[in-house]
Amino acid sequence: MSTALSFAPVAAPTGEPLRLAMQRLWLTGQVLPAGARLVVQHIFQSEEERPLEVIYSFPLPRDAALRRFRITGDGFETHSELKETEEAVKAYEKGLAEGSLSALARQYGDGIVNLTVGNIRPKEKVTVYLEVLAGVELRDDGFRFRFPFTLAPAYHARMRAAVTEGEGEVELPADEFGDVILPRFRKDASSLHEVGFELSVLHELPVEEIGSPSHSIRVRQPAPGSARVALAPERDVPNRDLVLDVRFRETRAQVLAGPREGKRPFAIIVPSTLFGPAAEAPRRTVMLLDRSGSMAGEPIAQARKAIEACLAVLSDQDSFVLVAFDDKVESMHRAPVPATREERERARAFLKKIDARGGTELAAGVREAARLLGGEGDIVILTDGQVYGTEDILAQARATGVRLSCLGIGSASQDRFLSLLARETGGVSRFVTPRERVDLAAVDLFASLGRPVATGLTAEGVQPEPPRFVFAGTPVLLFGETENHGRVDLAWDGGSLSFDVPPGDAETGEAVRLLRGSRLITDWESRYPKEEAVAPLRKRRQSRVAERLLELSRTYGLASREMALVAVVRRAGDRPGELPETRVVPVGMPQDTEFQAYFPHAAPMLASLAPPAMAAPSARKIVFDAGNASIEAAAPVRPGRLTRLMRRAREAPPAASGDSGLIDLAALLEPDGGMPGGSPEERAARTVAAVLAFVAGGHSSASGAFRLHVARLVEYLKSLSPAAGPETLWIGTAVQAASSGKAPEGAWLELARRPGAGWKELEKSAQP
Amino acid sequence: MTLAEIAEASGLPARTIRFYIARGLLRGPVKGGRAAAYTEEHLERLEEIKSLQARGSTLAEIARLPGGPAKESVLPPATSWWQHAVAGDVIVWVRADASPWRTRQVRAAVEEFARRVQPAGNEGRKE
Repeated sequence: MSTALSFAPVAAPTGEPLRLAMQRLWLTGQVLPAGARLVVQHIFQSEEERPLEVIYSFPLPRDAALRRFRITGDGFETHSELKETEEAVKAYEKGLAEGSLSALARQYGDGIVNLTVGNIRPKEKVTVYLEVLAGVELRDDGFRFRFPFTLAPAYHARMRAAVTEGEGEVELPADEFGDVILPRFRKDASSLHEVGFELSVLHELPVEEIGSPSHSIRVRQPAPGSARVALAPERDVPNRDLVLDVRFRETRAQVLAGPREGKRPFAIIVPSTLFGPAAEAPRRTVMLLDRSGSMAGEPIAQARKAIEACLAVLSDQDSFVLVAFDDKVESMHRAPVPATREERERARAFLKKIDARGGTELAAGVREAARLLGGEGDIVILTDGQVYGTEDILAQARATGVRLSCLGIGSASQDRFLSLLARETGGVSRFVTPRERVDLAAVDLFASLGRPVATGLTAEGVQPEPPRFVFAGTPVLLFGETENHGRVDLAWDGGSLSFDVPPGDAETGEAVRLLRGSRLITDWESRYPKEEAVAPLRKRRQSRVAERLLELSRTYGLASREMALVAVVRRAGDRPGELPETRVVPVGMPQDTEFQAYFPHAAPMLASLAPPAMAAPSARKIVFDAGNASIEAAAPVRPGRLTRLMRRAREAPPAASGDSGLIDLAALLEPDGGMPGGSPEERAARTVAAVLAFVAGGHSSASGAFRLHVARLVEYLKSLSPAAGPETLWIGTAVQAASSGKAPEGAWLELARRPGAGWKELEKSAQP
Repeated sequence: MTLAEIAEASGLPARTIRFYIARGLLRGPVKGGRAAAYTEEHLERLEEIKSLQARGSTLAEIARLPGGPAKESVLPPATSWWQHAVAGDVIVWVRADASPWRTRQVRAAVEEFARRVQPAGNEGRKE
């Protein structure tokens, strides 16, 4: 038998059905390897006796811009217009005063958008379909797509946080942030609007796997070149980003293009492997660790381990310094020091003292890191990026002239900010969820830094400009437009490549043109001087940034802070002058972010004591079927390795998993590349075991997060001159395994970590 | 004053003023509909709110201070519930934020209960 089931939020003290102003947020659209073209459905339902004005705040994903919206309801459908922001606000207010249904999508600093829908009539349902362009995080073998279903609270020195009725509230200074309205934050998102998605992933390269470390997904491949990815359960709650990983079976350049008005807009993705190997040079690195309160728990514990493992890659010729920041900056040394064993031990002791506390004064951390580096080298930041006033931080980071690479950690996106921080300074960024292995991602990122595979890139007809540096693992994305000759030449210091731009189809051409526009707008938004951001229109018109944003918005038909989207629906029965009831849509605290980290004086939540009313007239019907929660996949797509990795990490304590063991192992490497030991024999045997342990874990000298560790261990083995016999054979086996990626069976990890282990133990560890 | 006029006079956007009214910081207009009007008293209150904010008060704190309107109704804290319509005349409610094992346990009990309260003649019928 089965029972009919529905979901009905109610007010705890009274048991009355709760009136949600926004009922549903549903994401659809197409995800391409160069970016996504999305439509976000927002369903607003009034249960009020008065007209309603609803404000929904959300953050833009990386490289994103709003294109247009459509507002529909019983007997009407209207499309938005793109107007200069102040004109759009005036049109919205006029429509509201006249009693008409009005909607405004307006962008503020930090990529926050307020979607405001006013004069929703009593008991009326209104749907807004908002079209959004968004970028993706590219990797040589695929990409990661991230979409925010909630907004993370963040830190600002002048912000005010309070707890009202058990919910967190954040207020920002109006002189810096204008009239942006932020949502209230709920500890428990289960009584909020439902969220979900159904996306098409369009691809030319064959897909190896599609996975999600954030949601249970269902993947189908209805046709070659197109996969459908949907939320497996019927609905979800708004407490984390959607993260999708798409990995291709092969690594090669991809060119997306299509005809448009006699030209051919294009996007070219060039894998880093096409630029050749990295040049050898000593590394100079500042590891900058965010120790703010929001990093408390697993993120900071993993970040500490990750730094230890990254330091293990360094040799005596390399130098480093550790800096930790919250609202104070603490550095381990006054200048980078050689990565000797003693210094790494000191670093380990320094890290042990680092716990999470305080605010996130990222700019101060970056300034100190840049000062220590003295203009040469890399800063690697491990942070959740949860800060307001990001444009100011970006300006300060650009001014230092130092390259920044970012490892973002969080379940709610600050991806837009961290990707800008890295790109604007010439570095690379990765963003992981706290339920993935942060330490593995850090080691992987670190392995690609320090030595670019190419510098000095130039290409005609390409805008924005190509990046200054290319690092292993991260491809180059070029946007541009050609006449119909269809060829793009890319040159760099010591090399060049040419790409044919195919005729393509009009839909792809339009998609890449819009993605280029949203990327350019994002870049310029980040250059807003703080003092101009909320200046009056007359003053702002003189701003170079505002002028450029207006031009870009008009050229591409995309919103920015200078232009907003507005629609007014005039209907019979509009009642001028009636004041609507204003409601702000609350959001859930991001998963794995402590409520107390932002709202420390939280009053205890009211317990639900009253029995609920017997019937909820507006209850939503939910089909409950546990079988839907599994991942269904049709060949050749299968659930992602990251998903499995995440699941494993969730199921087992981190210290017990194999990857944790490898992190610990990586941290043991000596500056000469070998394992520690009391004698040359012990060191050699444990180094062989370490190579085999890494290879058995899926890492070779060319691939995997620990590729640099494997390469250094192999270098050490090659430098030895063992006596003939089993030693030579074992070293040969390890060198061969590192290049082939295949290791014989054996308890290698345990042996590599055991002090006193030698050749005899190695023989015993090998399993027949 | 109309809303547009008080917005102009106070330097605050109209949407912010509506938000303050909904938030219980400011009284609503003195009349309704087309004749909705705001007075000097409203303007003074807006100036007071701005000044209190500049001195570090949060909107929640300002709303609690004397001088504002009587607090308007705000949404009470929410809980969510699953509704099991086990029979035409019986509905069972279960807290939606229970742990997965508890949800499974309760669901099994509800299904058992549903079987027992089926009207006579439906007992053996498979739904």
